[in-house]
Amino acid sequence: MSWGGDLGNRVAVQLFRRLPWLGEVWARRRRVVESHSVPWAPMRRPVCESVIGLVTTAGVHLRTDPPFDMTDPDGDPGVRVVPVDAPRSEVRITHKYYDHAAADRDLNVVVPVDRLRELQAAGDVGGVAPRIYSFMGHIDGRHLRTLMESTAPDVARRLGADGADAVVLTPA
Amino acid sequence: MQRAIEATGVPTIGITLQREITRRVRTPRALYLRYPFGHPMGEAFAVSQQRTILVDALRALETLTVPGQIVEPGYRWKRHRFA
Repeated sequence: MSWGGDLGNRVAVQLFRRLPWLGEVWARRRRVVESHSVPWAPMRRPVCESVIGLVTTAGVHLRTDPPFDMTDPDGDPGVRVVPVDAPRSEVRITHKYYDHAAADRDLNVVVPVDRLRELQAAGDVGGVAPRIYSFMGHIDGRHLRTLMESTAPDVARRLGADGADAVVLTPA
Repeated sequence: MQRAIEATGVPTIGITLQREITRRVRTPRALYLRYPFGHPMGEAFAVSQQRTILVDALRALETLTVPGQIVEPGYRWKRHRFA
């Protein structure tokens, strides 16, 4: 978005929340890293026997960790790690490019931690990976390379070390 | 991100609110909702809505076989009645 200024950003955030179709219009104009091949890892076991990992780009982080950098127009290419059972009072969202009022009240709006635990208790899911890996999304410019060549492969390895058999990703 | 995880051998499902971007980036598996930004799992404290979306996503992990496929359950924001 090129409206500039904090007020312009706040207005845009509210418009995008109220008018879902605006997102599609914006998406058509946005520059993305396009790909032709699609990587594919098959499911090795059914979901009811799989440990599920959670990854989000909603800007979630622990209160005690540094928030995502909102001053850099290219975004913050780093990752924040949140224990999946961290007390909700310890979890914050730093992200000025979407309206996180609902997610502030209920983390499950952006990261379905409680729903996943319930499915595990019901035997529909084998387990829940111990950590949520969180990004801020909206990465651009020089940070795209850091994200794709460094942060993303690192997080992929850590998910494997956490025992994740499959991963659910949620955007903002 | 999704592609990097998949490249290490771990299957992924991405919930998306932006069908066009997902199509262009070509993620392995996606579930598209025509929901406003900031609400990939639905509304706050809407337990059955959030659970339904999560179950749809997990089911897609088991059922999708074609790379790049996008599932569209078609729930209407604030209108669909979740059981």
